[in-house]
Amino acid sequence: MKRTLYIALTLLLVMTAVFGAGKGEVKPVTTDPDAPVTLTVWCWDPTFNIYAMNEAAKVYAGIRPNVTINVVETPWDDLQQKLITSLSAKATGNLPDIILMQDNAIQKNVMTYPDAFVSLTGKMDLSQFAQFKVDVGTVDGKNYGVPFDNGATGTFIRRDIIARAGLSVGDFTDITWERFIELGKIVKQKTGIPLISTVANEPDFMMIMLQSAGTWMFDSQGKAYIKDNPVLKEALRLTKEMVESGVCLLVPDWNAYIATLNNGTVASTINGCWISGSIQAEKSQSGNWAVTNTPKLGKIPSSVNYSSQGGSGWMVMANSKHPDVAIDFLAQTFGGSIELYETILPTSGAIATWLPAASSSVYSMPIEFFGGQPIYEDLVSYAGKVPNVKYGVFNYEARDAVARALSDVMQGGDIDTALATAQKSVEFLMME
Amino acid sequence: MAQRTLTKRINRVGWLFVIPATVFIFVLNFYPMVSAFLLSLQSGRGNNLKYAGLRNYARLFQDEMFLTSVGNVITYLVIQVPIMLMAALVLATLLNDPKLKGKSIFRTFIFLPCATSLVSSAMIFKSFFSIDGLANNALMALGILKSPLSWLTHPVWAKFVIILTITWRWTGYNTVFYLAGLQMIDRSIYESARIDGASSSRQFFMITIPLLKPVILLTTIMSTNGTLQLFDEVRNITNGGPGIATLSISQYIYNLSFIYNPQFGYAAAVSYAILVMVAILSFIQIKAGGKR
Repeated sequence: MKRTLYIALTLLLVMTAVFGAGKGEVKPVTTDPDAPVTLTVWCWDPTFNIYAMNEAAKVYAGIRPNVTINVVETPWDDLQQKLITSLSAKATGNLPDIILMQDNAIQKNVMTYPDAFVSLTGKMDLSQFAQFKVDVGTVDGKNYGVPFDNGATGTFIRRDIIARAGLSVGDFTDITWERFIELGKIVKQKTGIPLISTVANEPDFMMIMLQSAGTWMFDSQGKAYIKDNPVLKEALRLTKEMVESGVCLLVPDWNAYIATLNNGTVASTINGCWISGSIQAEKSQSGNWAVTNTPKLGKIPSSVNYSSQGGSGWMVMANSKHPDVAIDFLAQTFGGSIELYETILPTSGAIATWLPAASSSVYSMPIEFFGGQPIYEDLVSYAGKVPNVKYGVFNYEARDAVARALSDVMQGGDIDTALATAQKSVEFLMME
Repeated sequence: MAQRTLTKRINRVGWLFVIPATVFIFVLNFYPMVSAFLLSLQSGRGNNLKYAGLRNYARLFQDEMFLTSVGNVITYLVIQVPIMLMAALVLATLLNDPKLKGKSIFRTFIFLPCATSLVSSAMIFKSFFSIDGLANNALMALGILKSPLSWLTHPVWAKFVIILTITWRWTGYNTVFYLAGLQMIDRSIYESARIDGASSSRQFFMITIPLLKPVILLTTIMSTNGTLQLFDEVRNITNGGPGIATLSISQYIYNLSFIYNPQFGYAAAVSYAILVMVAILSFIQIKAGGKR
């Protein structure tokens, strides 16, 4: 009996030792403004946001040399997983000071973990960022995200291929998706090349179409708005038509998609302007590309020739020991340094959402790769016209459900039934 | 008296040896299991969890995505496990032939797939079955296909690719178990059967299979368990698509925790559902195959 007690006690002791360890409170460090401070940042793309972050660190080193920025490469999927795991376990000690977050995940993370992020309202001036990007990072009237890269979409098109079909970039400007498909048929017939490619069963085009009409998969009360959503129905119909007419080539994954652009398998792509980095990676196509605005939905009056896809923002974590330094760092670099944007734009194509940067002469520079077109100036002007939508908390659930509807419709299913199923599945996941 | 103290001391030393392992099992296995069960009784998002009794379990039955994932996994199970185990048994019997030359080379080759990482084998199969992949090129060269087949975006063919990948990866693993089992069977039984004039196939069905029954049972339970927890292959080849046509239960748990708004309580309930299914299936298999 005694022995059992001993064992039980030992076990209890060990367990307390093991599980009690993580509970120490982090005390805020008393601030000496010149004490060395290290800010850790998580972001994911070495040629894009990591590069931009490192450049920002160089800019800030000139302002406050005592601050070191430590950038840790963390792929987005891992970042989201680590964030959820640490926040759920309340073990925030290993989280960084600043993270980069996908625009469409900001609402979800802030709503689920309201205490994990620092509100920037009153601490940083966001008025000079593009309004639609600021709204993406706003939850319950508080701003959480410092807008970083622009997701404004454009039609990136091969001048040389469409010229063989007797078309010019002007033919693709200010058009509808219906017209885009017609032009695609001409290109296919005359050159044998599909006009565009997309990852099979990813609803990227549909998301672009939705935002171009200022609607999303949720209504203003946050309820799922998938069934009987006229814009979604149109988007499904057009996507199906694009694939069936041979205008759009389906590829299995992202790498294959990028390959269709770099190998000249297709004549164009429609995506967020960050895709220009991947397009410009194929140097042999220099001079052959051009950019114009995005098609709109012919049958939806609210649809315009501008939309957004992707994009991300910086967030300051509440677990940071130096939240004020982190905010000051972001404010003085991504929210205050034209010099930074002038450095990162030509090499990475990171197009600012900080409007003063757009007045820099670097933006109006003709880009040789795009046949001398000043594409950054054009893309910034598109960004100003993107309709505002709230991605909402359940964006990933809805996106998955719509992807499934797309797959059903591609297999010959009925559009209304597919959307009704998607609506039901999102509503189920929204239930607690 | 002295005898008793010695026994006591031996016992005490014995306990000291056992304690570290016991502590680790408690801390790393039993504690999480109990804690996951408690979690499965709570509902809510993120850290905002409240006890909700058995509601998560009731919810499982209305969850069309969960039911579809169960259906998918059972499809994999029913088609893949028998094919794989049959193939493993045949391979093991061939490799067990005492007259076979280069036995160790064959054994190594057959076991080699098990030494590859699940993710890399999944990626390789994915590239085989892409539009311009090896499978399409080969089938078109042979004239079986006229135009490339989009394997991974078709609900049925995508399942086929996943079944093929699992089979490739795990057949060798099961072969090793059967080989070990076959080596336990006394050669003299086969000899006497041969003297009695039993053909090879008769020997296989009347001697090999009955004597291997415990091993067959073991591999069946292990494969069932493994298939119900299938994750890596599906996540890397199709990511559950097209739609949710290849979604496995484990991937649904992953989605519930890390892709969608985190619902850890419900995700824990889904993982306990797997446990219950494994338990039921194992029980049936033991009942059906375990009569000695």
